[in-house]
Parts: sequence; C-alpha cells; structure tokens
Amino acid sequence: MNELIAIFLGMVLINNFVLVRFLGLCPFFGVSKKIGSAVTMGFAVTFVMTIASLATWLIRNYILLPFDIEFMEIVIYILVIATLVQIIELFIKKTNAALYFAFGIYLPLITTNCAVLGITLINATQDYSLAGSAIAALGGGLGFTLVLFMMSGIRERLERANTPKAMKGLPVAFVTATLLGLAFSGFGGMI
Amino acid sequence: MMPIGVLTAIGVACGLIIFFVYLKVPQKVKGLDKTEEINSILPGMNCGACGYPGCFGYAQALSQDADLITRTPCSQVLQNPESLKKLEKALGITLDASAMSKKALVHCTGNSEVICSYSGAQTCKGAAQLLRGYKRCPYACLGLGDCVEICPQGAVFMDQGKNVAVVDSEKCTGCGLCVTECPQNLIELVPAGTKIAFLCNYKPLKNIPGRERCDFGCIHCRKCFKSCEDEAIEWNKETALPEFNQEKCTLCHKCIEACEQNTLADFTKIGKEAELVSV
Repeated sequence: MNELIAIFLGMVLINNFVLVRFLGLCPFFGVSKKIGSAVTMGFAVTFVMTIASLATWLIRNYILLPFDIEFMEIVIYILVIATLVQIIELFIKKTNAALYFAFGIYLPLITTNCAVLGITLINATQDYSLAGSAIAALGGGLGFTLVLFMMSGIRERLERANTPKAMKGLPVAFVTATLLGLAFSGFGGMI
Repeated sequence: MMPIGVLTAIGVACGLIIFFVYLKVPQKVKGLDKTEEINSILPGMNCGACGYPGCFGYAQALSQDADLITRTPCSQVLQNPESLKKLEKALGITLDASAMSKKALVHCTGNSEVICSYSGAQTCKGAAQLLRGYKRCPYACLGLGDCVEICPQGAVFMDQGKNVAVVDSEKCTGCGLCVTECPQNLIELVPAGTKIAFLCNYKPLKNIPGRERCDFGCIHCRKCFKSCEDEAIEWNKETALPEFNQEKCTLCHKCIEACEQNTLADFTKIGKEAELVSV
C-alpha cells in the first residue's frame, strides 16, 4: 500500500509528466488557452493513460515476456494504444452521447500523445505490478491535468496583462512554463 | 519469424476487435448521422454566437429541433446561400435569409474629446471600470479594440483618425460577439438592409445636454425628422430620438445633410471611407 502511495505522489508531483519528464508538451501549449478545454483534455488523457497502461501491462506480461521479444514493445504498444482509443471512441459514440460530446475532438487527438506511450514504457522499465501500473498512470494523468489547469489559469490572466508586443501569446507562455518547471523541481527528492 | 508473427497476430486481433465493436455494440444514441450531416454544412469556426458549445453542439441541437434555426440562426450560414440551401435540405424546411440576416453597427462617431490620460490595462473593459472611461462622453467608444480582437471575421477595424471602432458590413456575419464584448454597450445588431445609421448612444445625464459632451452627438433637434420627404423618419417622443423606417427610405441623404451634428451616416458606406487599421 505504501509503495502505491509513493508511486502515485511521485507521478503527480515529483516526476511530473509535463514539467519534469517533458512528455505531452504539445497539449501543454496547444490546449492551455482556456481552463475548460485544458481540464477536459487532462481528464481525457488520464482516462486513456490508465486504460492503456492496464492493456499494455497484460500484453507485456503475457505475450512479450514469455516469447522473449521485449524489443518489439514500442511498435506493439503504439498499435495497441491506437486500437484502444478507437474502440473507446466507437463505444462511447454508440452508448453515451453526453460523454461523447464532452470528450469531443480530444479523444482521437490523444492517440498520438507521447505521454500515453511514455507511461507504458515507464511502467515497463520500472517493472510495476498491475495495480502499480494503473496507479502510476492515474497519478501521471492527474499530474498532467494539474499542470494544464495551472498553465491555462495563468495564460488566461496573461492575455489581459500589458506584455510587450513581441512577447504576447506563446513567447510569454514559454517563459511561464520555465518558471512553473522551476517551482516543480522543488519537489525533487521528496521521496 | 517469431516477432513478425506476434506483431501480425496482434494487429489482426486489434482490427477484428474494432470490427466486432462496430458491428455488435448496439447504437443506442440516435440521430448522430443527421448531426454529422448538419455539422458538415456549418462553418466549423466555433464562434459560439448561437449560444451552443461550438458548431457540433449547435448541429446536435438542430438535429433534434429543426425550428431552432429560425429562433437562433447561425449567422455564418445566412451569409452563404449555398450552405443555406444545403441546410434547408438537411432539415427539410425553407427559410427567408434576408429577414434574419443582421449586421453589427457601432453607435458612436468617436469624436468625444479625451479628457484624461489612461495607462492601465489596454482593454476597453479595463478602462470602462474607471469612471466609465477617459472621454468626455461617458457613452463613447473607448477605441482600445476589444471588439476588434474578438471578431472572428476580422470585420471590425479601428478608425485611427477618429479613434472609433468601425464595422465593415460586407465582412460582418452578425454573430454578435462584439455586442456582448463592448463594455459601453455601443454595438447593436441591425437588419442587413438598414439604410441610415444613427451614430450616437448618448443618454442625457442629469440634464447635461449632449452638445457639451461631444461635438457630434445627437442634440434632439428634430431636423432629420423635418427634412425627410418620404415620411421614413418617425420621432419617438419618449426617447426624443428619430426612428427610421427602412422600407420607406429612398436613401436621398436629405437627413444626413440636414443633421448639423453629423450624427447620421449612410449605413452602406460605413467602413468604406475611413482610414482602417487593424489592431
């Protein structure tokens, strides 16, 4: 139990996906203009990451390891994740309209998100158990959501700020990202 | 051989699972095909002017209630006869586009004098919070361009000479985003066939006449009313403002010439002669 808590906290704060591991940077800048869409994106990523890490754990432990073909993991993981996202989208579209409209465009976008592939590879190298993988993915996703939420909140206020014209928009967001990253590096070594 | 076999097997299995889900999971959500058909006709710029979350949300609402288009029409579709025809076909109804089409009009000439320097946040909303702006007329256009920024069509410009927002009615699609954005409530959606534009929003304040606030404001002299030979102008006694009947108006420009305050202008020429600078 203690180990799971350590994994969870480590993923949310100490080894944060965006600011420490530098994964999922495209949505970090692309979808962080408004709080609403940032949070939706964050939860969609969390959802897909958790399901993907469960599926890839099963594939790794019951197919890759017995056949001794671990070097194939990236190719097979990408294949499995892409299929999984397609199935989930198809399933949601057929059964739950509200969820389909809430996730909207974000779900298919996530297929190619490096954070999703990243969590599966991290699970593999760390050799987490099934529960450990799920908790790590959940923590990683929530950490991603947290950072996206903070960034979008800051960027919404930055829009109103009187910044020099050359720094308006993305440049000042990059500067903000470095400051956020510095703040998160303060968590380093907590566990 | 082994890795290739495993990869192929997993690939085929994944494909089969998708196929199985596509075939076997029952379609409980109805009307999605129609929603997607409507969505493909809509402009897809997600301006949100219809009040629904993006074009897809609007398409969903339309697929359930086709009459919605007459109550909250998509202004972008109204501009485009081709997509309007497609939408009529998809919904199975006929529409009168010209009656619904609207354009934005800024009710200000922007000539009110600047009485103090403002160096706060460079948005109209920020400036309007401090004693209703920095111009002599508290209802004047502040000219910081909130409406320019929000317009998805780039139809609103700043007239740098007069420091006032001007709408190019050819580009304007009447989505109404600028109407809610303007903190001075200067912008109004008027019917697309409007002929004479009334460019003042001054409401008398503690008996201070408009003349003291702005050289170009309406002074309620009724000259436009008297000058009109087509009986197209009616005088509203309660608001003391002219009301224009666009059907009777022949665009003779007599009222525009009669107005000594230059409060009136030809609506079709607004935005054409001014020095237009996009912020």
